[in-house]
Amino acid sequence: MPDDPYKVLGLTKSATADEIKKAYRKLVRTSHPDLHPDDPAAEDRFKAIGAAYDLLKKPETRARYDAGEIDAQGAERPPRQYYRDFADTSDNAYRQRSGFGADTDPADIFAEILRNRARQSGGGGFGAQRASVRGADLRYSLEVPFLEAVLGTKTRITLPDGQALSVSIPKGTADGQTLRLRGKGAPGFGQGPAGDALITVSVRPHPVFHCDGDDILLTLPITIEEAILGGKVSAPTIHGPVDLTIPPGSSSGRILRLRGRGVDRAGAKEKGDQKVELKIVVPPEVDADLRDFLAARRGENTFDPRIDLMKGATHD
Amino acid sequence: MIEHFSEEEVITTITRLSRDQLVRFIEAEFVRPDRGETGYVFRRIDIARLELLCDLSFDLDLDETALGVVISLIDQLHTAHQERLAIERAIQALPADVHARILESLNAS
Repeated sequence: MPDDPYKVLGLTKSATADEIKKAYRKLVRTSHPDLHPDDPAAEDRFKAIGAAYDLLKKPETRARYDAGEIDAQGAERPPRQYYRDFADTSDNAYRQRSGFGADTDPADIFAEILRNRARQSGGGGFGAQRASVRGADLRYSLEVPFLEAVLGTKTRITLPDGQALSVSIPKGTADGQTLRLRGKGAPGFGQGPAGDALITVSVRPHPVFHCDGDDILLTLPITIEEAILGGKVSAPTIHGPVDLTIPPGSSSGRILRLRGRGVDRAGAKEKGDQKVELKIVVPPEVDADLRDFLAARRGENTFDPRIDLMKGATHD
Repeated sequence: MIEHFSEEEVITTITRLSRDQLVRFIEAEFVRPDRGETGYVFRRIDIARLELLCDLSFDLDLDETALGVVISLIDQLHTAHQERLAIERAIQALPADVHARILESLNAS
């Protein structure tokens, strides 16, 4: 048997209609479950208040109650669900994007935890389960010398907390590539696994070698004699110097390919090559014999290396 | 349990809600039902929200402007509340010495 509706609203039998309305409004403010998501007793209070008000707001039912014709029982409201019961459902479209506000540091650990949690909770559920949250990913950057990135190496980075983390740089790591170290990020919560460490590698450029995918590019200076007569020269590669045969009559810009002398990247079908671009270099001091020989040949030379260039320049 | 309701079913379920009022709530974007082929499709959360909107506008006499402010604050309250519960659960899962340290740092701040 529910309580006396006057008592529920904190009134006496002599209350006016206006007083009933005022009392009800005040109690809605303090007892509506959706205005007090933290208060588990709010729902029962709100039900009692609603039932009492339903009975007393209409003069006819109030008069019948006062006359003892009906009791407070009949005025009970049908059960309903409150909005707060849905606040934790994953498809709650009314939930604010983030309770932390727009100016929150995105690295904020709690924000990260909650984002992870929102991603992981697929189904509905009313949130009684114990939270097991994967730890946050932590980002680091690491500069690696060219040859170490190309040939692979093991190195250590020192974390802000003073701990050292051992990092394997795989062969052929490219500039800007991110390495993921599973389980080396922030520890998880509950049964949740630790996050990952994400290490963005920047490769320090090399004065001699350059990278083009798995191929290594190198510009190799040669003499005029080597260009005309050909010959064997020593060329550096990332794996050490090798002998390179220059074919007779090689111009500047000719590219020779050293197969398999490039990057041996794990997962690549075959090793990259080293591409050697020849560049003829005139000695800083040309000896008299060579100058005289070339001077004697001037005018006799019928070869015009620019003939195609001149023709090409008149086309669109 | 039915999960989706038509406009007609919503008005039948929430007896104090008139069709006009429902349309006004939708236009003001206080509820955001999905748009199906044959009209609006409401979920259970929309019904609960409409009950709340009725409580606020009929019982507390809030006009549309005040209703907009209040419902936005309620959404923020619920969001903050859910986030706090999530943090609480996360903290509960941690060992007791971490609880002690958290308490210590709360008391210090």
